[in-house]
Amino acid sequence: MLSDLIRREIRGRFIGSSAGWLWLLVTPLLLLAVYTIVFGLIFRARVPEGLAVPFIAWLAVALWPWLAFQDAILRASESIPQHAALISKVPMRREQLPLASGIAAFALQLFGYAVVLVVLALFGIGISVAGIPAALLTLAVLLLLGLGLGLFAATLRVYFADFQHLLPTLLLLWFFTTPILYAPEMLPEQMLAFVHLNPLAGLMSDIRGVLFGTQWIPGPGTLVMLLVAGLIFLAGLRFFRRMSPYFEDFL
Amino acid sequence: MSRPLLRVHEVEKRYPPAVGRAGRARAFWNLLLRGRSEGGTRVLEQLSFEVVQGQSLGIVGANGAGKSTLLKMITGVLAPSAGTIEMHGTVSALLELGAGFEPEYSGMENLRMNAAFMGLSRAQVEERLDDILAFADIGKAIHEPIKHYSSGMVVRLGFAIVATVRPDLLITDEVLAVGDESFQKKCIRWVEQYLAEGGTLLMVSHNMYQVQKLCRQAMWLHEGRVHAFGDVFDVTQAYLAWHECKDQAEKAQRPPPSAQLCRVERLDLRPCDEDGRCVLAMGERLEVHVELDSADERAPVVVIGLVRADGTPVYGVPSDHDDFVPARTGARRFCANLEYPHLPLLPGSYVVRAHAMDPEGLRVHDSLEAEFTVRGRSRELGLVRIEHRWT
Repeated sequence: MLSDLIRREIRGRFIGSSAGWLWLLVTPLLLLAVYTIVFGLIFRARVPEGLAVPFIAWLAVALWPWLAFQDAILRASESIPQHAALISKVPMRREQLPLASGIAAFALQLFGYAVVLVVLALFGIGISVAGIPAALLTLAVLLLLGLGLGLFAATLRVYFADFQHLLPTLLLLWFFTTPILYAPEMLPEQMLAFVHLNPLAGLMSDIRGVLFGTQWIPGPGTLVMLLVAGLIFLAGLRFFRRMSPYFEDFL
Repeated sequence: MSRPLLRVHEVEKRYPPAVGRAGRARAFWNLLLRGRSEGGTRVLEQLSFEVVQGQSLGIVGANGAGKSTLLKMITGVLAPSAGTIEMHGTVSALLELGAGFEPEYSGMENLRMNAAFMGLSRAQVEERLDDILAFADIGKAIHEPIKHYSSGMVVRLGFAIVATVRPDLLITDEVLAVGDESFQKKCIRWVEQYLAEGGTLLMVSHNMYQVQKLCRQAMWLHEGRVHAFGDVFDVTQAYLAWHECKDQAEKAQRPPPSAQLCRVERLDLRPCDEDGRCVLAMGERLEVHVELDSADERAPVVVIGLVRADGTPVYGVPSDHDDFVPARTGARRFCANLEYPHLPLLPGSYVVRAHAMDPEGLRVHDSLEAEFTVRGRSRELGLVRIEHRWT
């Protein structure tokens, strides 16, 4: 059932567009090109000391997981109004809707991530193949966290219409407070402590670490977060299940 | 006695109050902390009934009576505000034309998705695909996006999927009325066979003929309460009679009697029960007794007509047509009796109208009405039974 919904969600993204699946390749490459121009040529941003990779590669490795995470939350939160007709007519386990939307969005971004990594490798940037299993674990944690938050967002979105305007702003704030565009070491001393409170900070440095071969196993960030993400997911599921029987009254 | 397939116990449904932001927030906290909401518009109240395996129950009622809300709660799309709904078995519902279909996707994709919603696995869908396509009978259009379908095609597809699922309880909400004649018949044949094989049906329809044909029992919902529950013929006839009266009440009242040259003083019907209501079985004798008042002491002409409760005339006859003269019973008083030995009216609610005319039979001076009901079990259509013979 869930897999049917996910397939449908993914197919739905490309239905009616003439280039169809080609966008899966083109979008990430265009985005990569834009970031290369902006950060490589205009800002001339630099990677932290001791790393021998171009800034754009360093950025891309953390940026796409963030995009997947963010997209999963946004799509999950929109899944209920988007399927309002379904909700009010067809009996089903409703948590499947935000989960399917979230997973589909995450998977699509992940595909783009793979394309970007392959392109980076083709340009001679050393992506550590041995780090991929560890990276997948980190991504799985990210997905779990995204789905958990997505379930909360989907519920709030139904009861509070304002939430749809608030959510992108909150995510933007989160993006900039997470060391993605910058390394945590670049922050002033007093802010560094706060960064570690950000659940994504550890995940981002882990995924950079394993893919650039500076570490082999997921750091404590990922492992602790596996637990935290699992709890958030369960809490989100419970919250959603408690509130979802009444969705139809508010849609 | 089999275990009830469905038990609805003291179910109540309110829709939340004001859609304003404050109202929503309050409803949100109520639901989160206490699992229920307060206030709001009450749509259904204290509803209890059971449906056992093999039963076929029709739900009738005016618009806004809560029929669709009830079905939605039974299928689980909507949560009741109070009370419990127990289901023992599989349910499939056709709540609305093309419910759950995405217009952008092809018929085939929607078919698979909908079958998945109804609990069929991918392999089962593959297995039954030919049956579904044959039943839907929409040909190559199955590969077109649903948005290009006609409403009939959408219903065909939807029904075809349900037909292959064969649930323990089938719920339909006014969907059988959409397809063309031949498809409707196909659906009805299918439902009849499904019922014959022990299936259970819960249907909402405004088509009393369909309800009478498919259901053995009926429930009349009125303003969120069960107004009547029982044999399908009794309930639907009572419901139709109520409608006819309502239509009648909405029509303009007859003009006040003009110059009172002659008047209808009394109009009595027989048979008549102790409450003064006249109820007879189809084909029984009906007697009409009229007392008239004539200002100039000449015998007036009386017209007695039968109309259905909504005002459709059935039959009327003036006394002078049959050369009958009302008998004098006293000063200014005349009376007439009219007897229909075997009233051939079909079951329903009717009105007897008596009009008093001047002795020349030129002008109606006064009218009086009395209601009566014909009871019976019949699926004949129209107003009267006309003698007939099949050969």
